[in-house]
Amino acid sequence: MDSSNDEALDIIITNVVATFRTRCHLNLRTIALEGTNVIYKPEVGKVLMKLRKPMITASIWSSGKIICTGATSEDEAKLGARRLARCLQKLGFKVRFSAFKVVNVLAVCSMPFAVHLIDFTKNNRPIASYEPELHPAATYRIKNLKATIQVFSTGSLTVTGPNVQNVATAVEQVYPLLFECQKPLCK
Amino acid sequence: MSSRVCRTCGGSDIDVDQARGSAVCTSCGSVLEDNIIVSEVQFVEGSGGVSSAVGQFVSADGPIKAPLLGSGFHTSVGKESRAQTLQNGKRQIQQLGSQLQLNQHCLDTAFNFFKLVVSKHLTRGRKTEHVIAACLYLVCRTEGTPHMLLDLSDLLQVNVYILGKTFLLLARELCINAPAIDPCLYIPRFAHMLEFGAKTHEVSMTALRLVQRMKRDWMHTGRRPSGLCGAALLVAARMHKFRRSVKDVIGVVKVCQTTLRKRLTEFEDTPTSQLTIDEFMRVDLEQECDPPSFTAAQHKAKMQQLEQELAKKLDEVEGEISCYKDEIETELEKSRPKLRGIYAAYTKEVDPEDNGEVLSMPSEPEEVESEDVELQAATHHLTEDFLCQVIQEEEGRGMKGDRKAEPEKESMGPHRQAASLSSILGKLPSAASLSLQQTFQTSDTSESGEKDLGDHPQSEELDLEGIDDQEIDKYILNEKEVQVKTELWMKQNAEYLKEQKEKQERINKEKEEGTYKEKKKKKSKKRDQIEALTAGEAIERMLEKKKISSKINYDVLRDLNRGTGSPTRSPDHTPDTTAARKRLNRRRRRKTSDSNQDLAANTSIMGKRFRHLISSTPKKKKTAHQVESTVSVVTETETPAETESNPPPDSTAETSPTLLTAPSPVEEEEEEEEEAEEECVSALQLVGDYGCDADEEEIF
Repeated sequence: MDSSNDEALDIIITNVVATFRTRCHLNLRTIALEGTNVIYKPEVGKVLMKLRKPMITASIWSSGKIICTGATSEDEAKLGARRLARCLQKLGFKVRFSAFKVVNVLAVCSMPFAVHLIDFTKNNRPIASYEPELHPAATYRIKNLKATIQVFSTGSLTVTGPNVQNVATAVEQVYPLLFECQKPLCK
Repeated sequence: MSSRVCRTCGGSDIDVDQARGSAVCTSCGSVLEDNIIVSEVQFVEGSGGVSSAVGQFVSADGPIKAPLLGSGFHTSVGKESRAQTLQNGKRQIQQLGSQLQLNQHCLDTAFNFFKLVVSKHLTRGRKTEHVIAACLYLVCRTEGTPHMLLDLSDLLQVNVYILGKTFLLLARELCINAPAIDPCLYIPRFAHMLEFGAKTHEVSMTALRLVQRMKRDWMHTGRRPSGLCGAALLVAARMHKFRRSVKDVIGVVKVCQTTLRKRLTEFEDTPTSQLTIDEFMRVDLEQECDPPSFTAAQHKAKMQQLEQELAKKLDEVEGEISCYKDEIETELEKSRPKLRGIYAAYTKEVDPEDNGEVLSMPSEPEEVESEDVELQAATHHLTEDFLCQVIQEEEGRGMKGDRKAEPEKESMGPHRQAASLSSILGKLPSAASLSLQQTFQTSDTSESGEKDLGDHPQSEELDLEGIDDQEIDKYILNEKEVQVKTELWMKQNAEYLKEQKEKQERINKEKEEGTYKEKKKKKSKKRDQIEALTAGEAIERMLEKKKISSKINYDVLRDLNRGTGSPTRSPDHTPDTTAARKRLNRRRRRKTSDSNQDLAANTSIMGKRFRHLISSTPKKKKTAHQVESTVSVVTETETPAETESNPPPDSTAETSPTLLTAPSPVEEEEEEEEEAEEECVSALQLVGDYGCDADEEEIF
């Protein structure tokens, strides 16, 4: 499964985005006035609430939809979301925790070698695309996993996908392709 | 034409005459067909001897019903939407392509791409401009022309990234694999723009070699090719003894200075940069370098490591120092005379007193057992403090004088509380770590609970496992705090709330009246007509309203008109010194004779002169001696109460009226015929006094 490398690659998850619904209408002004760590944006129509314990920022809309960002693992995201719902419950809203879904996971990973992006793109058309005028990295999209990998010339990757498992699979899938176009580092 | 059987005799021998358009049976002679439809092309001679084919074009994917023929129909009505789109697209492609100097073949290819795009319905929701630009850029990439996406975005005034997005999408949908950009493609184009004359080819060759070297050294991956080209061209130019500055190059290449310099420094770091020019042209070094961002990251990592080591060493040293400090202190204590008797008791009491003071500060329970309570206390205090302070500030700003005593007293409070807070905060980390451990333990237990939740997606009840209620409570402010925060928020957002109320009231009123419109258009401000008797007055009023420049002293301008009628009033207005006033009066008297009739002309010239004055004020200091004298006069009058100044201003004032007499017939044509500098001078003198004011204002 490690596809011919001796050391394991460290995949570090940096951000997990999740959404859930409270199934009840929320009065944003009440939340803004009675909660600590809240930022009210009446122009946009949402409240930003930041929790400390899992370091999470949540955007709360009056329809009851909440987006939760900043967690470093799926479990943490769920915990944070539940905490948030509990907080809203205490403020007096009839909150029900429903439709919790992790929407996006962002992870970074670093290869022990540099990658020749032009060769990599040539070998993997049209899945990979590289446009140096627009972005310094080559983008590799895996359709069945719905994951996107951005490969930089230094060998670092950023991977985004719908859940952690997909992200790990994506890295494993792309590793042999990168290995072919590698350029060993001198120092 | 299928050979048919004759109806009358049954014979199959039918003679078809194309010229007459008839089909006749040869056996019995009966005419089978008259006026056969012929599918031949006919030509018609048009004006100028041009022969054109007769007929209408019917497209294969056009409408099923036959297009209506007739003289009364306009051609545009007959065409349907698809044809119109394609025609429009073709026109735009031609337009844009000609600006880029693309040849016809490229334009045709671009049009083909566009047709593909339209047939795949990819133009929906996108501006045609963007789609056309993307098609053109596709062609450029496939043909390998030296056009950048930046050029297209320049022509269209659209963000590069938006065009890039469209381009990527089209390339993906049309399955066109555009070859990667090679910076070598751009070099001849940029070299041509930099105007190297006859040696352009040589410079390009050198630059090409440089770029290839950069490629080997991994400087080109992930970078814009134009930046690399710029750096290579700069170096090549210098090698061939052309002086092209960084600014010239960036103007052509369209990157910023910082980028270019960075590329140059990166190239400097490679071993190739150490070779001489001749060596470089002959030899190619084998060794390849790492990408520069990688080396930068490594460098950073090394620095961090170094810092860590240094920090460790510092700690060690500090440790040693503290050891010495302790030893010294113990020695000192031993050597200090010990307090005996009653005094001994005091030394012991000091310590618990401090602790007692600190602990008594929080109004909450004084037990220090539960760290959670401390945490609560800390957060409550912090929020109270903050809110109290902010409100105090606002109130203090409102009523400064009256409540000075109170804020002073209250500021003492926060100070003491601040001191206690630091001690509390010092203990906070431990509390935090403890409660963290708690949550980790609970989260471990809750994981199993969550898995159950996953099995039952129907349940929407909130699972309270692993959620520390007390902690959640801290996130909610209690009533008093809510009040405070409400006040604060209302004050901050008072304007917004007021606006909303007004809007609502307005809508309600209009709803009652029945004139409520969904969207109200902004009424543009109507400018009031200025009513004035004379042109001069009109200008005055306009200037008053409009306030063109801050450097014009409007008071004096007004006096200009009135002053000619009443010279006695003028001294009151001018704040100048006596010398200046003398000049003023003298000049005014001169003026009354001449310029009553030319008042309007004067004011307009004043306006012009002011503009000249303002525009020429930087020139004023540089231009010649004529001006210098007046400048010296002006500067001297600014230093008030200098008796020495009186003789020179008088003498120069005498010269200045003489200079005045020359241009005194104040006619516009003459003024404008004079040179700019002279105009400066005369303007200065005429407006001299006023120029003083303008000057003073300027310098201040």
